[in-house]
Amino acid sequence: MEKASFPFISMSIIIPIIASIGVLIAKERYAKYIALFGTALTFLISLLAISWFDFSKTNVVQFVERYPILSDFNVSLHLGMDGLSLLMYFLTTLISLIAVIWSIGDEKIKDRLKEYYIAFLLTESFVIGVFTSFDLVAFYVFYELTLLPMLFVIGIWGYKLRLYSAYKFFIYIFISSLFLLLGIAALSVYHYSQKGSFSFNYFDLVGMHIPTGFEIFLFLLFFIAFAVKTPIVPFHTWLPDAHGEAPTAGSVVLAAVLLKMGTYALVRFNLGLFPNAAEVLAPYLVALGIYSIVMASWMTISQTNIKRFVAYSSVSHMGFVVTAMFLLNLQGLNASIIEMFAHGLTSAGLFMVAGFIYNRLHTFNFVSLKGAIKFMPVFAVITATIAFAAMGLPGGSSFWGKFLTVVAAREHNTPLALLVLAAAFFSGVYVLYFVKTLYLDVREEGILKHFKDIKGYSLLAFVMILIPIFIVGLFPSVFMNFFDEFVVSFLKSFFKIQ
Amino acid sequence: MDLKALVGTIEIPDISKFLPELILLFVGFLLFTLELFIDKRIKRAVLSVVSYIGYFSVLISLLIPWRFPGDTFYGLFTNDALGVTVKFFAVLITLGILTFVNNYFTSKRSFYGEFYYILAFTLLGVFIIASSYNLVIIYVALELVSVGFYILTALLRGSTISKEGAFKYLILGGLSIALASYGAAFLYIYSGSLDLREIFTYKGVDIHYFILGLVFFLIGFAVKIGAVPFHFWLPDAYHGAPTPVTALMASVGKLAFFVPLIRVMPLVEERFSIVWTITVGTIATLTMLYGNFVALVQKDVKRLLAYSSIAHSGYILAAAAVAHEIGIQAVVYFLIVYGVMSAGSFLVLALLERNPNWRNQIEEFSGLRFNMPYVAFAFLIYMIALLGVPPTVGFVGKLLVLMSLSFEKLWWLAFIVIVSTAVSTGYYIRLIVLMYMKEKNKDVMVDRVSPGEKLSLVAFTVASVLLGTLPSLIWFFIKASSQNLIAR
Repeated sequence: MEKASFPFISMSIIIPIIASIGVLIAKERYAKYIALFGTALTFLISLLAISWFDFSKTNVVQFVERYPILSDFNVSLHLGMDGLSLLMYFLTTLISLIAVIWSIGDEKIKDRLKEYYIAFLLTESFVIGVFTSFDLVAFYVFYELTLLPMLFVIGIWGYKLRLYSAYKFFIYIFISSLFLLLGIAALSVYHYSQKGSFSFNYFDLVGMHIPTGFEIFLFLLFFIAFAVKTPIVPFHTWLPDAHGEAPTAGSVVLAAVLLKMGTYALVRFNLGLFPNAAEVLAPYLVALGIYSIVMASWMTISQTNIKRFVAYSSVSHMGFVVTAMFLLNLQGLNASIIEMFAHGLTSAGLFMVAGFIYNRLHTFNFVSLKGAIKFMPVFAVITATIAFAAMGLPGGSSFWGKFLTVVAAREHNTPLALLVLAAAFFSGVYVLYFVKTLYLDVREEGILKHFKDIKGYSLLAFVMILIPIFIVGLFPSVFMNFFDEFVVSFLKSFFKIQ
Repeated sequence: MDLKALVGTIEIPDISKFLPELILLFVGFLLFTLELFIDKRIKRAVLSVVSYIGYFSVLISLLIPWRFPGDTFYGLFTNDALGVTVKFFAVLITLGILTFVNNYFTSKRSFYGEFYYILAFTLLGVFIIASSYNLVIIYVALELVSVGFYILTALLRGSTISKEGAFKYLILGGLSIALASYGAAFLYIYSGSLDLREIFTYKGVDIHYFILGLVFFLIGFAVKIGAVPFHFWLPDAYHGAPTPVTALMASVGKLAFFVPLIRVMPLVEERFSIVWTITVGTIATLTMLYGNFVALVQKDVKRLLAYSSIAHSGYILAAAAVAHEIGIQAVVYFLIVYGVMSAGSFLVLALLERNPNWRNQIEEFSGLRFNMPYVAFAFLIYMIALLGVPPTVGFVGKLLVLMSLSFEKLWWLAFIVIVSTAVSTGYYIRLIVLMYMKEKNKDVMVDRVSPGEKLSLVAFTVASVLLGTLPSLIWFFIKASSQNLIAR
């Protein structure tokens, strides 16, 4: 653990909060610019943090800050970043900036602007807290806090079924995370029974010798919460509603960042704290992951609503993340983490595509969307690029995740690799269907010809998504560099894998 | 014993240990006298100013007993950290509630000067419950508090529901005290003492007397704290009472009625701990589930909060099932912060009830954010605090409850806590959704909100968040209370 020379993390948590106070005080028409400034500043700080980060030691937690909260129970705000956290932190600041840029250009966002931007700024701040907390209570606090602004974003600015979806979103995730709370409480009490003091600190809790039965129990308590958040089929039913009914920027943040909280926590806590239980349960979880990919892909193809389509495709991508993670080898964990990042980019892009089309045609229905983007050449190119990147075409961002998953599965045995390949095939099918409908299908073209092509803030948002998509696709080592050392030492210390 | 020896044992009561009670008694009589003789036009102002000054001086005088723990009055009156903690927060919350009293009763055209001295004597009862191990003293103080609450509940003289609530409370409260006294009799047969410390440490053989006594004792208190299946008075009394009084009953009342239970917790012997856990745990289970499920179908927000109060009794009882230090800490912390949350939420209702057509119906909250943004925000904070969303106080309370349950490996009870919290999500979130995401269907305006009321609402709201974010601010109270009890 190295002390921070500059408090990067607490700054990036505080700046959005300060900006949200600014939004609250200032006049409504300045709200978007203050929000833009706040998120851009946070993004710059994240770039600075990356340049400051010591990439030769990505397994070491850097930029450590520690503020005691309740010393009797060893609760503290323990912030820090290793390679995994850094990548997720960078994704968060990037996506938050994109979401705000998109919202400025989005013509559907007209009323209650102050609350809107406050919600997004607070979400950014809390999500950064989630990815950088090494204290379980602080983690839980941030994890739950992200629910509230999102509840408001879905419930106030969402589409037709917004109230139903807002309820569903909150209730699912809140209830599932109560199990996590019990798990955290039980773990700290176990620490008390072993060491004589309560502790919620990750570094105190890691590497404790827990009896296997109890460890599996704790693993499952944590797993329920993160499986709903991730989501893994059959816990996914909140997602299509929440993502489908949220406003575009809300869906972007939900899919790109908030789902990563689940997968990040699976790696960090479920694998890190309970490695023995993870090894026992890994085969079942791999099976669940593959089931998740296949089921979600089938459900994706059968959607008639383009937003729910993208939402279900997220579930199938998360299936890859989970499958790769529980293969428990070098390629698998690498695949899982790079896929988290890649999915953050492509799902954000696809939701923006859906939102853009909605602003032109005022429908999400696939039947009315036939050939919708034909007369918008720039937008059509962007759409196709993002869609193929999501499919896993070489050169696109999702390729490395899927490729390495197959390699990792092959390390176990060939049939498993074939199974993963078959699952990947289904995820290819729905993307092709998506591109075909938007691009190639014919219908009367009278209204389509009058559509203005993409420009301004919306275009900027897309460009900011496309650049990292290509970087991941063509030069994966740029981002693999963030966590390769982390993955090696993680597997070595917890799973004795060289 | 001859007379001389008897005189020799007479101790002079140590005034440093019960100074706050003396001041409170004096304040009560002063208010009583003033109420009788003072001119009607200035009565309101004088009574409230005297109350404020009196309670503030009580608050300051509480610093003295903190320094001098120990018994006085031959062990009938015990002054320890738990007592001082309870008194301190009881007075603080009462001060917050007091700001709403004048305007509320004026708007209901039901202002009576009696309120002030009855409140003072009720608070005196709370103080005495908080500082005694002797069953007789506890019962007398319990009656002092209860009689105060009966009268305060019926204070809306024109309203039938107010009277109905008071009657139900009176009858069931009387029954409970009868049962509890019966229990005291059994405990006396068992041990030959009325002091809880001696009863619980006595190694008697007639265990069935002890068990009977303990069960009656628990039932008596279960009625008072509104635990299921002895809760029937609670929704009606809370619903019928003037809303500031409801706030008082839910916060200060609950704080006081739990104290004897907390005092018993560290005294429970190893051989009885299983009986204790099962009894308290079962009552807690019923209370949590019943309170939350019934709250889910309420249409009246005041009743909804009353059932939520029952449910919270259940959470606190669940922690009380764990007779260990962590359990005591959880109970004390949760009681204090529940006082803050519930007082705040009932006071919001008290404020809204000053609208001429306000009926406390749930649909009236629709679009409240557009009518009264600050009040809606305060109510939002109380709702998420009651639900237990971090970083509010309710979250820390539930974390402590779950930690104590894990300590004893009571997983079944922990799962019931989770299930009932899950059920409670339904009604708290519904209120938030109504306030912030629905259109407003009528104009709700409250004119002339006094600075005191604003200050008190802000204080309760800030406390609901701050004491959850930084529990260390009040943790020394809780730590001192539990250590003091354990060390005995």
